[in-house]
Amino acid sequence: MKKQFTGLLRTGVLIALFALFLGVQQTMAQQTVTGTVTDETDSGIPGANVLIEGTTTGVVTDLDGKFSISASPEDVLLISYIGYQTQKIPVGSQTSINVKLGTDTEFLDEVVVIGYGTAKKSDLTGAVSQVTTESFERQPITRVEEALQGRAAGVSVSSSGAPGSGAKVRIRGANSITGGNDPLIVVDGVIGVDLRTINPNDIASMEVLKDASALAIYGSRASNGVLLVSTKKGSGKPKLILDQFTTFSVVPNKVPLLSSGEFAQQKNEERLNAGSVPPFSDEEIAALNANPIDYQDIIFQTGVSNNTQLSLSGGDDKVKYFLSGNFVDQEGIIITTGYERFSLRSNVNAQLNEKLKLGLNLFGSRETNTNNLDNFNRFKGSSILRTLTWDPTLPVRDENGEYILTSASFANNGFNPIANLERSNREREADRLNANINIGYEIAEGLNYNMIVGLSTLNQNTESYIVNGDQSSNVGSNHTNLSYSNFKNTSHQVSNILNWKKTFDKHSIDLTGVYEFQGNRSTINNYFTTDVILPGFFLGDNADPGRESFFNDGGVSSIQSYLGRAQYNFESKLYLTASMRIDESSKFKKGSRTGYFPSAAVAYTMDDMAFVKDGKVLSSLKLRAGWGQVGNENINPTAGLARTNDGRVFSIDGANQLPGSVLSQVANPDLTWETTTQTNVGVDFGVLSNRLTLSVDYYVKNTTDLLLATQLPRTNINKFLNVGEVQNQGIDLSLSAAVIDKEDFTWDANFNMSFIQNEVLELFDEQEQILGNTISVDGTGNRLNVIQVGEPLGQFYGLTFLGTWKSDEDLPNGISPGDAKYEGFVDENNIYTNTLSAIGNGTPTLTWGFNQNLTYKNWDFNIFIQAGHNFDVYNQVAGAINGGTGDYRDNLSPITGEEWTPENETETPRRNAANLLNSSRYVEKGDFARLSNVSVGYTFDNPIKGIENLKLYASGQNLALITGYSGYDPEVTSSPTGGNSDVASGINIGAFPNPRTYTVGLKVGF
Amino acid sequence: MKYIQSKMLLKKVTLAFFSITFVGLTFQGCADLDPDPQEFNLPPGQFTTLDEFEAGVIGSYSLLYSAARMTTFFAPAWAGDDMTTHVLSNKADFREFDQRNVTNTNGRLLNNWNQIYNTINSLNSNLERGKSLGDFDVDKDRLDRLRGEVYFLRGLLFHHLTRVHSKIPIPITEIPDPEERPASQVEVYERIEADFLKAEELLPVIYPDTNPGAPRPNSGSARAMLARLYLDWAGFPVKDATKFADAATSAKQVMDNATAHGFELEEDLEDLWKVENRFNSESVFTISYCSPCTDLANRKYGITGLPADIGSGWAETFAEVRFFEDFPEGARKEATFRTDLNWQNSTDHKGPIFKKIVGPPGDLPANAFATDRNDFMMRYAEVLLIFAEASGQTGTPSAEAWEALNMVRRRAESLPADTPDPSVDITSGDIVELAITERKWELAGEYLRWYDLVRTETMQEALSQRDPQTTTDAGGNLLRVINPIIGSLGTENYFSPIPQAAIDISPALGE
Repeated sequence: MKKQFTGLLRTGVLIALFALFLGVQQTMAQQTVTGTVTDETDSGIPGANVLIEGTTTGVVTDLDGKFSISASPEDVLLISYIGYQTQKIPVGSQTSINVKLGTDTEFLDEVVVIGYGTAKKSDLTGAVSQVTTESFERQPITRVEEALQGRAAGVSVSSSGAPGSGAKVRIRGANSITGGNDPLIVVDGVIGVDLRTINPNDIASMEVLKDASALAIYGSRASNGVLLVSTKKGSGKPKLILDQFTTFSVVPNKVPLLSSGEFAQQKNEERLNAGSVPPFSDEEIAALNANPIDYQDIIFQTGVSNNTQLSLSGGDDKVKYFLSGNFVDQEGIIITTGYERFSLRSNVNAQLNEKLKLGLNLFGSRETNTNNLDNFNRFKGSSILRTLTWDPTLPVRDENGEYILTSASFANNGFNPIANLERSNREREADRLNANINIGYEIAEGLNYNMIVGLSTLNQNTESYIVNGDQSSNVGSNHTNLSYSNFKNTSHQVSNILNWKKTFDKHSIDLTGVYEFQGNRSTINNYFTTDVILPGFFLGDNADPGRESFFNDGGVSSIQSYLGRAQYNFESKLYLTASMRIDESSKFKKGSRTGYFPSAAVAYTMDDMAFVKDGKVLSSLKLRAGWGQVGNENINPTAGLARTNDGRVFSIDGANQLPGSVLSQVANPDLTWETTTQTNVGVDFGVLSNRLTLSVDYYVKNTTDLLLATQLPRTNINKFLNVGEVQNQGIDLSLSAAVIDKEDFTWDANFNMSFIQNEVLELFDEQEQILGNTISVDGTGNRLNVIQVGEPLGQFYGLTFLGTWKSDEDLPNGISPGDAKYEGFVDENNIYTNTLSAIGNGTPTLTWGFNQNLTYKNWDFNIFIQAGHNFDVYNQVAGAINGGTGDYRDNLSPITGEEWTPENETETPRRNAANLLNSSRYVEKGDFARLSNVSVGYTFDNPIKGIENLKLYASGQNLALITGYSGYDPEVTSSPTGGNSDVASGINIGAFPNPRTYTVGLKVGF
Repeated sequence: MKYIQSKMLLKKVTLAFFSITFVGLTFQGCADLDPDPQEFNLPPGQFTTLDEFEAGVIGSYSLLYSAARMTTFFAPAWAGDDMTTHVLSNKADFREFDQRNVTNTNGRLLNNWNQIYNTINSLNSNLERGKSLGDFDVDKDRLDRLRGEVYFLRGLLFHHLTRVHSKIPIPITEIPDPEERPASQVEVYERIEADFLKAEELLPVIYPDTNPGAPRPNSGSARAMLARLYLDWAGFPVKDATKFADAATSAKQVMDNATAHGFELEEDLEDLWKVENRFNSESVFTISYCSPCTDLANRKYGITGLPADIGSGWAETFAEVRFFEDFPEGARKEATFRTDLNWQNSTDHKGPIFKKIVGPPGDLPANAFATDRNDFMMRYAEVLLIFAEASGQTGTPSAEAWEALNMVRRRAESLPADTPDPSVDITSGDIVELAITERKWELAGEYLRWYDLVRTETMQEALSQRDPQTTTDAGGNLLRVINPIIGSLGTENYFSPIPQAAIDISPALGE
């Protein structure tokens, strides 16, 4: 026994450490064997592999499927081709061997990656959505989120139009208030990758794990769903593909505003009514009418972007490779904004011998992001909001070419947003290197060991020179900020996966055991100074040492996990899956550190039942049900520890700053996982020989022990707690149809739809609500969002707009007729107090996507429509345009004739009446349907020698938007300046609009 | 047989699993689940050196800075008859005070509440963390100074806040009790008194190595604050008349030791508001600012006091027209207002401009809102006037009491404060009334007038006098009264409600 153990141990060591150097040598007597490899229709298969078993000797069949190989009589030939069943033929005395390969049904039944393994789609017990290249390859995309958008039921993606910015991906809604709601991204088995770093062209398929039975294998990090990404592997003869497209982006619509002349006219009238002098002369107004200044035309531009992609792939039975390079150069539709990405991938897989295979995936990228508007001061609204509220009578520059930085009397009281953008330059460069090694060893028939080792590093360097103001060194103007920041993150992962598969008669068993550990370490170094007179990054040396500050921080975390999973099926009819993952995380203290995440699922196929088998209505029917628990540990590694903030400074002598320290966080040794318990039931139908398939899933998931960053009462001292409960329930529906399937003409349609209902069931200490962190841009400090028990996460918070006060009403103190009226009450002193409440929600409860691919001979077409319903947008931009508050001194909205006047007492407040942005007056319905993509392509086969095919294509994105929303786009709202985006979704403080893009491209296959 | 085979296989599988796990553990190392938290962060515990304590105290000052750097800190003072704000724009929170219509959702009120308690909490934390320092071999004087400073600042902030809300919670523990209810007004005063007394006991006569104006408090600063506290205590709402005597003795004690504490009247009142004079002997406690430092500028002065069409102002802080009209002519009026600016014809806000806010001409850079100006939390002139007023309340005022009043009056006329001058000196009449009136002019625009109206219960009287005004614009039109009173001027409306958001978090505050 002990000997056996040592023997195995030795084997293990050898596998782990010397895998690369293993090899088997053989020498035998030789004879020449010739033959033909054919398929079921007796056509020769070119490129099939003919290998002598147990050796590295082999040949490839020619165009007619013929081969010739030297072999000994005792050899066995292994004949294989992708998509066909491999055959083994003992050579014996034969010199001519003709082989007919049968199609591999397992291959035809789509294989789905399920985490630590794969499964046949038909064997799935959990809720898994698959997005393959075919569904998005006809839309030019530069980032992965676009490929997911509207293509997988239960997945919502809300993007920003800003070049290079990340999109918010949610799988079956948001659970967490503080813990983060981003799904876990697993690329080729490596956990925790940033989706933005992946070149979409490298993706072979993406699987979205949605229900707890599928997710539980990722345990403590899976509660927001898991997205498994598999990158391409090469095969067959070498294939070189060049894909190049150019995109022109424009802003699809403009927000209606007063023109320069109209605005001047308005101001004149107002001043005259107030008994003052009109500020504009008739000549000035005439000049403004003749040459209006439209700041929307100034801030928006046509962005030209280029995307070049080159890939080389191929391989035989021994070595397969996929190499790709990609260069993206995007110009934003807002001046000065842009994004660049270079990336390189090399995926190499080698079958070293019968038992041992090895894979090495390398990925490197450099991203450069220029002038991301989210990093500009948004305290009083984004640059876009500032532009929309800017004085339309002032040009950007005066007659001497100098910037006009402020408007003395009108409209926005801040600094000229165009001048700020043109003088600023903020670049963030992120260099990434990801490497992972995959070693597979077949220990015995059906028993496989896999080791995945992943390493990744990120070096992110930000050089920021942001000007907001007069760029002088005037004490007190304080408007030029220069900063450098370096963020470095390294992480590693080692997974040991043992899998055993066995079929006994009618029983199939698949057991998986995993031991895995992961570590992460990050540091950040930051330098900041202000009021540097000369422009540019590198003039920090000119900074006044008294105005410099530094900030350094970092964190280290690790996690260790054990996983067991058992899958069983009986006669491919009844499927059972059960799993248990145990995670130990350094983020929590001993005693609260270990989490157990169990799951179980069952599926039953009724294909054998008479009513299915007769094929009259149904061609397949499968029922699924699953239950499981998953966790969320997505918080800062130091969340459970007491901390001080040592970056506080004060000056006693008024000239030199002294370092100070304040308590910033108290410890919570009991801090632990957030746990989500999910139950899922689903049914899969197939109709007309499965040409039409429909999957419907219903789920309910409850998240308890929510990680919540609270503050001790009346302090800024954080304390992380596990409190409360949030529920999500919904239905995911996915319908696919091969409408037409002829040789010359195919038409595939895919429709998916998700309903989701979110509710906060409990907060803590019997609190009914927690105010959010998103603050109004009008300088009042009013909170714009709230979390309330019994309501969905992230309600809009504000006043309920009731129209106007009328002259015949009992007016409370200080209120005039025509003022905006809000819900409230009058007290005994005749003071009217407005009441605040939840006034809307920005998360759609219904989303759908409809994707159609058509091919006709060499033509192909794609139409993709996507929509969201039942949500609101808190349009602070519209509020700011109405003026009368904060920096927004004047009303710039077009005159509609609906405004209150003493003669016509309408419900629209008087022009230039006091205005509050936090009111339901600025809550709008966000429902929309978007024509996301239309594309047409034509492929030339063998147009010239050396080129296998050439495809030319043209497409348009975001070509039409049907919505009642008055702003640029209801789907893009601002990322909040503080706090969790899921409790502030739908709040628009001037988000970067989704561009309308036109693309032309070509794809050449050599 | 089959059974045995599968059993064997199972054994093999188990063995393989364990062996591989073993290999993994041996050769690959396992996760470090207890990383050293000190690598990136020094977890707070007890201070072991005075330097740590000092950093903690500077941390508290930095929070005080955050609380005090904007006009928010003084927003309730807009209720005084000396100050007003723009009729529109984003000044709604200020108008609520100005018009006596303060709601529990006022953003400035909430911000003030949060920032002040945050600072108080940090002070409590410093006391807690520094309590065992006495057991170490440390410089005892320095330890006392630091602890005295903490008590002083806590008393100051409780006092600042109780003047706004009257009944407030008075937490003194490191971890605040969420169930804590507001204490009664007397309990609050007693807490402040205890803090200032402790501060006085621990602080030196003068804090070593500091600029003039006590940017770090000394024992005289604490005593001066006690004098102010007792005057409040004697007035509305507690009206404990015995406290007038305490106010008078406290003020006298400061006056008697003024030289030792480094306190005296500045010769020229106007000089006080110059940047170069931001550290001056007249301030008995100064919050200092440093605009070249990283975000340590004072954002209350400069363009906050100008209308949009004069110097691109932010139109936040203006004088009341009637207050300006009533203001006695002379050097003090010139030092208080920018009479050189044509505010009567502003198209943005027609109201007098405080020189105390925007600075003497050319002193602050154009467009400055982030300045080097310091906050004089209490001026020596106020100490003198407290002595005069409180003396009058406790019996026949002494010659010293009249002298204290006259010193302020002389300086107001640009006369030497210490030299009796029959042209301005008075030695008869109601010294209480005279002193309160003197305060009205002397402390105008310093966010203090409103507290006088509260303690003397004269809000109704003072705020009813905004009309009629006599000033006209260039067109001969009488200026309108800006932001007319819309709320009650009765004593039930003197104090501001506790912010609703604070009650939402700690419901005990509403009980």
